[in-house]
Amino acid sequence: MREARAKRLVIGALVALSLLILSAPTLVVLGASFTAGNIIAFPPDGLSLKWYEKVAGASDLRQAFWRSLQVALICTIVAVPVGTLAGLALAKHRVRFSNALQVYLLLPFTIPLIGSGIGLMLLFGEAGVLGSLWPVGLAACVINLPFMIWAVTASAGALDPDLELAAASCGAPPLQTFLLVTVPAVAPGIITGSLLMFILALNEFLVSLLLVDARTVTLPVQIYNSIRSIITPDLAAISVVFIACAALAILALDRLVGLDIFLKSK
Amino acid sequence: MSAAARAMAADSSAPDRAAAPVVPAVSVRDVAMVFSGQAAVADASFDLASGRFLTILGPSGSGKTTLLRMIAGFQRPTRGEIAINGRPVSAVPPHKRRVGMVFQKLALFPHMTAAENVAFPLKMRRFDAREIPARVARYLDLVHLGPYADRRIHELSGGQQQRVAIARALVFEPDLLLLDEPLAALDRKLREEMQLEFRRIQKELCITTINVTHDQREALVVSDEVIVMDRGRIQQMADPISAYREPANAFVASFIGVTNRIEGRLSDAQGDAVTLDTPFGPCAGRWGAPAGRSPRVGEAATGMLRAEQIRVAPSGEDRGGLDASVSAEIVDVIFEGERVVYEARLAGRPEATLRVFDHDPLGHAVQPVGATVRLGWNRRDLIVFPND
Ligand SMILES: Nc1ncnc2c1ncn2[C@@H]1O[C@H](COP(=O)(O)OP(=O)(O)O)[C@@H](O)[C@H]1O
Ligand SMILES: [Mg+2]
Repeated sequence: MREARAKRLVIGALVALSLLILSAPTLVVLGASFTAGNIIAFPPDGLSLKWYEKVAGASDLRQAFWRSLQVALICTIVAVPVGTLAGLALAKHRVRFSNALQVYLLLPFTIPLIGSGIGLMLLFGEAGVLGSLWPVGLAACVINLPFMIWAVTASAGALDPDLELAAASCGAPPLQTFLLVTVPAVAPGIITGSLLMFILALNEFLVSLLLVDARTVTLPVQIYNSIRSIITPDLAAISVVFIACAALAILALDRLVGLDIFLKSK
Repeated sequence: MSAAARAMAADSSAPDRAAAPVVPAVSVRDVAMVFSGQAAVADASFDLASGRFLTILGPSGSGKTTLLRMIAGFQRPTRGEIAINGRPVSAVPPHKRRVGMVFQKLALFPHMTAAENVAFPLKMRRFDAREIPARVARYLDLVHLGPYADRRIHELSGGQQQRVAIARALVFEPDLLLLDEPLAALDRKLREEMQLEFRRIQKELCITTINVTHDQREALVVSDEVIVMDRGRIQQMADPISAYREPANAFVASFIGVTNRIEGRLSDAQGDAVTLDTPFGPCAGRWGAPAGRSPRVGEAATGMLRAEQIRVAPSGEDRGGLDASVSAEIVDVIFEGERVVYEARLAGRPEATLRVFDHDPLGHAVQPVGATVRLGWNRRDLIVFPND
C-alpha cells in the first residue's frame, strides 16, 4: 500500500518536472512579453500590453508574419496531394519498399538542414526564382514531406485492407473508390499531416534564412535579424503571437481528429 | 427411405425445379487459382440453383476465401470459368458484377454513418435519388437497425456493425450474396443468433447465397447445400443431411461431427457390407467409397464411426439388434447435461480409445470411470473408406 503510494508520488513529481522543463521557455517568453519596462527580462518588470501594441503597429513584423502564413499555406497546399498519394502508395506496397521507405522517412531527423538549405538555394538560384515566396514554401514542403507521408501511412495502415474491395462490390469504379472511400477514410492522417506541415513551415527558420532576401523575409528570420541589433520586449510579444498560432493549429487538430493519433500507433 | 433421401425428394418436387432446365445462379467450371506455383484452389466445379443457400466449409487455408474472391471478381482464376446467371464473368470487373459481399472484418466505411454506408451502393449504382432514403430505411428495418441509422460505425456494437454490413450487401438487390466468415469474430451466443438471422433474411428475400465458414455446426444449421473443401479441392457437395450421413471420404467424415477413426484390413466384402479386421476384432461396416471403387478383401482401410452412433451398455447386458459390439473400459467421463461424453479404451488395446456420446432417457445411467462396458453400433454407421 505505502509502496504504491510512494511510487505514485515519484511518478507524479517526475511528470511535473518534465512539464515544467518543457514549458519553461514558453512561460518565460510569455512573462517577458507583458513587461512594462524597456528591456526583455524575466520576471517582467511590471505589467503592460505596450509591447503588443508596438508589435501591432510595426509594419515590418506584420508583413513578415503575413509572409510566413503564405509560406505555410503554399507548403501545405503542395504537401497535401503529393504526401497523400505517396503515403497511400507506400502503405499499399510497404513490404516491397520497407527499407528505402524507413531511410526516407528518417531524413528530416538525419540530414543537417543547413545542407539541404544550401542545396535548395543553389537549385532555386540557378532557376532564378529566388526573391519570390513560393520557393520558400516549396523548400519547407520538400524538407518536411516525410512528416506528411508518415501521418498518411499511419492512418492508411490502420485501415481494413478489404475496404477498397468492399467499395468495388458496392459498384464503385476505381476512381470513385479512391475519392469517396480511400481518401475520406485516411482523412484523419491527411488533416494531421497538413496541420503538421503548416506549423513546421510557419516555424521554419534555417532553410528560409538561406532562401529569403529583404523582399521575402519571413517572421522567424525577421525576429532573428532584430535580435542581432537590439533585443527589445516586442520580440517576446511577437513570439507569443507566434506560439499562439501553433497552439491554435494543435487545437484545431484535436477538434478535428483527436490527438490520440500521436499517442498510440494505431 | 432415409432422412437424406426424403429431404432430396422433397426438394426435387418443388414446382419450378421439375420444369424446364433452369440456368444455375452460379456455375463454376474447372476453376483453379495458382499463387507462385501453389494451387490455392484446384479443379473446382459446381452449380448452385437460384435462391439456394450454399456453405463452403473447410479448415483454415483450404482455399475457401480464394474461391469466394474469384466469384466476387477480386481475383481472376488462373484457369476455368465462372458464370453468374448464365453469363461468363471472367472479364467483368467486380464493380460491374451484381454481387453483394459481407467481409470477414466487415470493411464498413468508417467515415460514414450506418445509413450512409447502406446508401453507398445505391448511389454508385445510380438508383433514383428520390428512391434512396426509403430503400435505405427499408433495409435498415430488415436488419432491425432502424433507430441506429445516424450512428457512426464506431458507435455501434459488433452485432450491429454486422447488420450494417448485411444491409449494405443486400440493399441493391444483388444476384448473389457472398459471406466470408463474417461471424467468426463474434462470441458464440451472438454468432448463433446471427446465423439464424442470415437464414431468416435469406429466406425472406430468396437471394442466392454463398457462405464461407470453418464452423461445421454453422454449415449444417444454415445451409441448403454444403461444399466441403480441403487443400484447395472440393471434397463433396451435398445437402447437410447427406454430407453428415453419407460423407464422400474420410476427410469429410472427420471434419463434420465428432468421429472415431478405426484402422484395419478388409476381411470380407459382400456388396456394400464389409468386415473390417481391427486389433480388437472384426467389425461390421459399410463400404463408403464412391461407385466404381469396390472393396478388395485384404486391403488396408479406415472405418469412421460417429461418437453419437455408439451405444453403451454395462458388460454382460447385451443390447439387442446391434450389428457390432466390443468390450471396453471407461477411462474418462464428462457429464454435459444433455449428454455424457465417455472416453473408452478397447479391451487389451491401451492405445485405442473411442469417444462416445451417450444419453439414457429412461434409466439416467452414467457409467463410472473404470467400469467395463460393451460398446455397440449398427453396420451402416461404421463407414469404411479405402486408404488410397
Ligand atoms: N494473395 C495470395 N498470395 C499468395 N498466396 C495466397 C494468397 N491468398 C491466399 N493464398 C494461399 O492460398 C491458400 C488458401 O487461402 P484461403 O483461400 O485464404 O484459405 P481459407 O479462406 O480457406 O482459409 C493458403 O495457403 C494461402 O496462403
Ligand atoms: Mg478465409
